[in-house]
Amino acid sequence: MSVLSVSGLSKSYPSFSLKNVSFELQEGAITGFIGRNGAGKTTTLKSLLNFVHPDKGEIQFFGQSFQEHEFEIKQKIGFVSGGISFYPKKKLRTITSVTKRFYPQWDEAAYKEYLKRFELDEDKVPDSLSAGMKVKYSLALALSHRAKLLLLDEPTSGLDPVSRDDLLDVFLDLVEENGVTILFSTHITSDLEKCAEEILYLRRGEIIGRGKLKEFQNQFVLCNFSKEQMTEPLKSYLAGYKREKEGFSALFYKDHLPEGNFDYYPADLESIMIHLEKGELA
Amino acid sequence: MRNLIYKEIKIALHPTAPLFLLLSALLLIPNYPYEVIFFYTCLAVFFHCLSGRENHDIEYSLLLPIQKKSIVQARFLFVILLQMIQVLVSIPFVFLRNYLIPEGNQAGMDANIALFGNVFFLMGIFNLIFFVLYYRNPDKVGKAFGISSIVFFTVMVILEALVFTVPFFRDQLNTRDPMYLSQKLIMLVVGVVLYVIFTGIAYRKSISTFEKLDF
Repeated sequence: MSVLSVSGLSKSYPSFSLKNVSFELQEGAITGFIGRNGAGKTTTLKSLLNFVHPDKGEIQFFGQSFQEHEFEIKQKIGFVSGGISFYPKKKLRTITSVTKRFYPQWDEAAYKEYLKRFELDEDKVPDSLSAGMKVKYSLALALSHRAKLLLLDEPTSGLDPVSRDDLLDVFLDLVEENGVTILFSTHITSDLEKCAEEILYLRRGEIIGRGKLKEFQNQFVLCNFSKEQMTEPLKSYLAGYKREKEGFSALFYKDHLPEGNFDYYPADLESIMIHLEKGELA
Repeated sequence: MRNLIYKEIKIALHPTAPLFLLLSALLLIPNYPYEVIFFYTCLAVFFHCLSGRENHDIEYSLLLPIQKKSIVQARFLFVILLQMIQVLVSIPFVFLRNYLIPEGNQAGMDANIALFGNVFFLMGIFNLIFFVLYYRNPDKVGKAFGISSIVFFTVMVILEALVFTVPFFRDQLNTRDPMYLSQKLIMLVVGVVLYVIFTGIAYRKSISTFEKLDF
């Protein structure tokens, strides 16, 4: 049974559409959800919880329909959207005292443990927390009600590199120690290279890549070309390309390479994303 | 629902809500349009919703393991509770006013049972207009309050004008209790029934529009 199964999710706005998004999350894995700003990551995540009403599509959490089992499903999931924005002037202690009443399985000992681990002071108010600490507080709330699935919407955006790395360590620990499943949207691809096993790539409202991160990356290779080498026949092989200081760097599918001896080298996630997006725009 | 009401009181409550309840003491002013006192509760409802917008209360509530319509249910229950407390708190002041001041109210309806008929009717109208508009777009809470306040005061002025112009209101309803008790009780019942109908319509309409909103 998959933790989350999404099939044919669509939502249309006047200037943007989410088109037939389908994917599944396997238990105990971190799935990176990538795409540039405006690709539809947040709309997808919000549609999962019905914050945004999809035009069509089927969503099942733990094998249950969200519409029919909203209460039970929300007990098992935690949604963290870049830290907390609510009740910025209330003490964390007060927010927690209200929040925990909604969760029969609230684990106070675990909550205290997370506060200690994340070095959170309950007498502080959200406004006085750094962006990273806000995310950690949201995580503490989600994990203390024993969430089995975390939906994280760009939790590392705006954090300094050290805080980001700290947070990624936390995600890895959660998967290893608690078997938590994480869907983690970001446009910072290096974060995913550190912690994600699976990947979902959303471009302009459509899933264009999904599966194991390594397998996704291994589909591609990069190569550099001068302006003279970038001929029309060569362009027909490209998955994407972008300008460099001297010439171009080009992305190819490994199974669709041009004839000739070129110096190919492995593509990292960031390069793949940039080339695919830029190539599409060119 | 008990937890949501707890949330309304513990973190969502605007401090003016309990403070405005004390304005029931304005009933001790000898000559005053007493319906205005109950407008302060409507003002507190506005502040409560405004503060909710600034504190992202709906976003917080949506994350909780509750159904979306429960957010609206809790808000209605809280507001009805507040309005009922306001009525209850004002009753001793009615008795005190009539004990201390033998003269009737020269500025409008006397502090009597019929006044509460007016008050329930006015609060029902406020609930109907304010909440229907508010749940269409919770970000535009000011617009909802502005329109509902205008209607509240317009109806209030009409009701007060009746006290000076229509014999039934002037000679029977605008008198000290227990004179014309049955007529005043009918007025009270009519007010309560209209309050229930208007608030009920507002509730159903609000749930339906709120369910359709995207956040």
